[in-house]
Amino acid sequence: MAIMMPAPDEAVLARRDEIVAALRAIVPGEGVIDSNKEMRAYETDGLTAYRQVPMVVVLPDTTEQVSRVLKYCFEQGIKVVPRGSGTSLSGGALPLADGVLLGLGKFKRIREIDFDNRVVVTEPGVTNLAISQAVAHAGFYYAPDPSSQIACSIGGNVAENSGGVHCLKYGMTTNNVLGCEIVLVTGEVLRIGGKSAENAGYDLMGIITGSEGLLGVITEITVRILQKPETARALMVGFAEVEAAGECVAQIIGAGIIPGGMEMMDKPAIHAAEAFVHAGYPLDVEALLIIELDGPSVEVDELIKRVEAIARGCGSTTCQISTSEAERNLFWAGRKAAFPAVGRISPDYLCMDGTIPRGMLPKALARIRQLSEKYQLACANVFHAGDGNLHPLILYDANKPGEMERAEAFGADILRCCVELGGVLTGEHGVGIEKRDLMPEMFSEIDLNQQQRLKCAFDAQGLLNPGKVFPTLHRCAELGRMHVHAGKLAFPDIPRF
Amino acid sequence: MSFRPVLNGSSRIWQVDVLGAGKTRRGPAARFHGALKRRSGGGETVWPQPAEGQDSGSLNLISDANFATRWQVDILKVRDARDVEQAVRAAIASEQPLEIIGHGSKRQIGQPMGTNAVLDVSALNAVTSYEPNELIITAEAGAPLADVMSLIDSKGQQFAFEPMNTAALLGTPEVGTIGGMIGAGLAGPRRIKSGGARDHLLGAHAVSGFGDSFKTGGKVVKNVTGYDLCKLLTGSWGTLAVMTEVTLKVMPKPESERTLVLQGLDDVSANKAMTAALGSPFDVSAAAHLPSSAFRAGTEGPAEWLSHEAAITLLRLEGITASAASRAASLVQLLAPFGAARVVEDAASAELWSVIRDVRPFAAGAALGAWPVWRIVCPPAIGGTVGQQLARETGGDVIYDWGGGLIWAALPPKADAHAALVRERAEAVGGHATLIRASDEVRRNVAVFHPQPSGIAGLSERVRASFDPKTIFNRGRLSRSGVP
Repeated sequence: MAIMMPAPDEAVLARRDEIVAALRAIVPGEGVIDSNKEMRAYETDGLTAYRQVPMVVVLPDTTEQVSRVLKYCFEQGIKVVPRGSGTSLSGGALPLADGVLLGLGKFKRIREIDFDNRVVVTEPGVTNLAISQAVAHAGFYYAPDPSSQIACSIGGNVAENSGGVHCLKYGMTTNNVLGCEIVLVTGEVLRIGGKSAENAGYDLMGIITGSEGLLGVITEITVRILQKPETARALMVGFAEVEAAGECVAQIIGAGIIPGGMEMMDKPAIHAAEAFVHAGYPLDVEALLIIELDGPSVEVDELIKRVEAIARGCGSTTCQISTSEAERNLFWAGRKAAFPAVGRISPDYLCMDGTIPRGMLPKALARIRQLSEKYQLACANVFHAGDGNLHPLILYDANKPGEMERAEAFGADILRCCVELGGVLTGEHGVGIEKRDLMPEMFSEIDLNQQQRLKCAFDAQGLLNPGKVFPTLHRCAELGRMHVHAGKLAFPDIPRF
Repeated sequence: MSFRPVLNGSSRIWQVDVLGAGKTRRGPAARFHGALKRRSGGGETVWPQPAEGQDSGSLNLISDANFATRWQVDILKVRDARDVEQAVRAAIASEQPLEIIGHGSKRQIGQPMGTNAVLDVSALNAVTSYEPNELIITAEAGAPLADVMSLIDSKGQQFAFEPMNTAALLGTPEVGTIGGMIGAGLAGPRRIKSGGARDHLLGAHAVSGFGDSFKTGGKVVKNVTGYDLCKLLTGSWGTLAVMTEVTLKVMPKPESERTLVLQGLDDVSANKAMTAALGSPFDVSAAAHLPSSAFRAGTEGPAEWLSHEAAITLLRLEGITASAASRAASLVQLLAPFGAARVVEDAASAELWSVIRDVRPFAAGAALGAWPVWRIVCPPAIGGTVGQQLARETGGDVIYDWGGGLIWAALPPKADAHAALVRERAEAVGGHATLIRASDEVRRNVAVFHPQPSGIAGLSERVRASFDPKTIFNRGRLSRSGVP
C-alpha cells in the first residue's frame, strides 16, 4: 500500500472475542459479523485498490443501538469506521484492522414525506435515488444526483457532501440538507435543525456535512425537495479544440445562463463512451460539451437558442439539440456511463476528483496531457465544466509491477496542478485516504490545526474514522495549546503516516 | 508595533502601527496591555476579575463593566491581516476581550458585550479580485457592502441570497461591510430558492483566537476540502474568528421579475396560498405576506400597495422575460381559489421586495419604532398559524417572508419583550426566535439568541472554544451567561 494507515493496536486485537460478545449484547442476531469470510464484503469501498478486513462488523438498526455501540467503543478506546453503501471513491469507508465497522445499511426507512414544508425525513441507509422516487408521484425530486445515485446512500452523501451533474444550478448536498439526528462518539444523541430553513446557533449541520465520518454517526436526515422543472432539453456540442470548448463554457456563464448541467468530455472519454453505449457521439472532435437547460418550455426553448448561438460563435464543429426525452437521455447515457466505459478498455483505472477555476480548463487539460506522457499512462477526462470539477480517469493495469504506484503519482500530480491553478484538492468525492497526504499542498499546518481542533470538539480521543482526511494525527491537548509554532513539532513521537 | 492615540470624541482610537515588513513583530503584548490600561480612569477596576472558582475563559461580569465604561472604549484600527494577528495576539497575552466591528451597523444585535476594546477592521476595505465569468468575488472583510453590491450590479450580477439591509430596522446609517453581512448571515426573500449567506461563502481568511491566520474553503464554486469552516463563520456574530478576506459566489441577475399580489387574505389563508405556490413547478423565488395591520406604521414604499388597508400576499417569479411572464400567468390560474391576483413588474416588484427584505413596516423611524422586534424561523407551512396567534396574544404586528418560514414580529414594549411566550410558540412548532431589536436594558435581561438544548449548547461551546479558547472575540454576545 502506498498510503499507510495507523498501526493496529495489538491490545485491542487481543480482546477481540470479548469485544464481539459485548457488541452482540447490544445488537442481537445477525447484526454482528465476525467471520472473516462474511467480513470480506466490507473490506473495501469504491476505492478498490485499498482493502482491509475490519476487526468486526456491526449493523445496528436503531438509533439506540448506534448510541450504545459508540458508547461502548468510546469507553473501551476502540476505533469506529462508519459506512453507508460503501461507494466512496476516496476510501472514506476503508476499515481498520483493529476497528469496528459500523454499517448503517439497515436504516432503510423514509420516515416522513412533508410536501407542505417540501422536506423528506429519512434514515441514512436510503439510497439517493429512492428519495426522488418516493416523491416523484407529486412532481418532486431531491436535486443532488451523484452518478452512483442508484447505490449510494443519503447518509454517505451527507458525509461526503456529494455533488452530481446538477449541482451547478441546484447546489451540492450541503445546500439541500436542513437537519439531522447525530450520535456523537460518546453515545450522546443530538438533533440538529429540522424543517426550518435555518438552525439556531452555530451552523452545526453545515460542519457535519462533508465531515467524512470523523465527527459523528448520522441516524436521520431532513432534506429539501424541489418541484421537477416542467421540461429539460440538452445540447451536444463538439469542438475541434479544448480551448474553444472552455471558452464556450465561460461565455455561457458570462451571459447569465446557469444550465441545469454542463459537462465536458475529452477525446479518449468520448471514444470509450461511444464504443460502450453508441450514443452517436462525434468521434472526430477534441472536446464534447453536453449542456442541459431546464425550466418552463418557453424558457428552455429560448435559452437553447442563445446557447446554440454562443457555441457557434466559439467555433463548434457539431451541434445536436434534443427534441425528445429519449434523445436527451441518449446524450447523457454516454456521459453517465463514462466510468464503466473506461473500465471496459482498461484493466484498472483511478478516478480523480479536483476542482479548478473554470477559466483554467484548457491549461489543466494541457498539463494532464504532459503528465500522461511523462508517466506513460493513458488518461480520459470527464469534467463538470460548469463548476470546474475535473474527473480525470487514469488507466493502468494493477498486474503490471509498478503501474499502480505510477498511476497514483500521476493522480497526485494532477491534484497538485489543481491547487497551483487556484483550485482545490476535491470536488465532490471527499479527501478520505486518497487525498489525505496531499492536504499540505493546499493547507498550511495552521490551517490544518484549526480543522483538527474542530475534530477535537466532537471526538477528543480521535476514535471516529482515524487515518482519514488528516495526514498527521495530533493530540487534542497539544492542539489546544496556545502558540503552536508552525514547522516545529512538539511531539516527535506521535504517529504520522 | 505601537498604538498611537487618536482623539475621536469620547472614544480614543489607537492606530495600530506595525513595523515595516521584515522587521520583528514580536513584543506588542505589553504595549497593548499598557495602552488599554492607560485609559482606565479614576482608579476603578475596568477589567473585571474572574469570579471565584472561575477561570478567565468564562468571565460573566463584564457586561456591566462595559456598560459602566462604554464612553471610554478603545478602538484598535487595523490596516491589514497582519495587524489583526498582532492585535489579537496582544489581546490574548493580556487576556482582554475584543469587540470586532466593521462599520458597527449591527452592534445593537446580541447581548450587551463584555469588551472594552474594539477591533475595527473597516480599513480592510479592498476588493481583492472579481471575476464575473467565474461567478466569484474576493473582498476584504471591511469592504463596504453597498460598494461591493454596486460593483457586481454593474456586471449584471448579485448576491443571490439578497442580504438584508438592517439600517431601517435598527435606525442606523446606511452602512455595513461584507464581513458584517457574513457574520450576521441575515438573508432576504430569495433564501427559499437560492439559500442563505452560508450557501454563498466559498472561502475565508481569518485570525483565530489562537492569534493565527488560517484559511478555509477556496476560490472555486466547489470549494470545500476538509471541514467546511465557512459554514461556521457565517452567522457566528464574530465569536469564532476575525475574518480578514472572504470569497463569495455571485450569480447573474434575472432578466426580469414579476410579482403576483393577492389581496385581503388572513394569515392562515395566505400561508396556504404561499404553500401552494411554492409547491408548484413555477419556480417561485420569494413568497411573503403583509397583514393589513402592518400598514398602520405608515411604511414607505409603493403607495399603491402599502397604504391600502387590505392585507397583501406577494409571490415573485424571476428569469428571462418570456419565462417570468408565462409562469406568472400560470400561477395566477393556480391561485385563483385565493382570489384574483394582480401582476406587478420589474422595478415596482423590486421595490415591494426591498420593503419585505429590510422589514420596513417595523422601521425604527416609523410608528412601531420603539417596539422590540423578533425574528422567528419555523417550518414554513405553519408560520401563518404561529404569527396570527402571537399577534393576537400580544397585540403586536407580524409580517411573513420565506413562504411563512420567517416571521418578523413587532410586539408592544414589555420588560422581557414577551420572550417566554415567543419562544414557547416557536419551539412548539420546531422553530426558534432571535430578538433582533430591543433596548440595551431589555437585552441585558433577555436571551437575545434562542437558548439551545443542553447537548447542542455543550457541543456549540466546544466548537467555539476550538477557535477561541480564551473567549477573546465578542465575549458574551451570544448568551447572557458569558459563554455562548
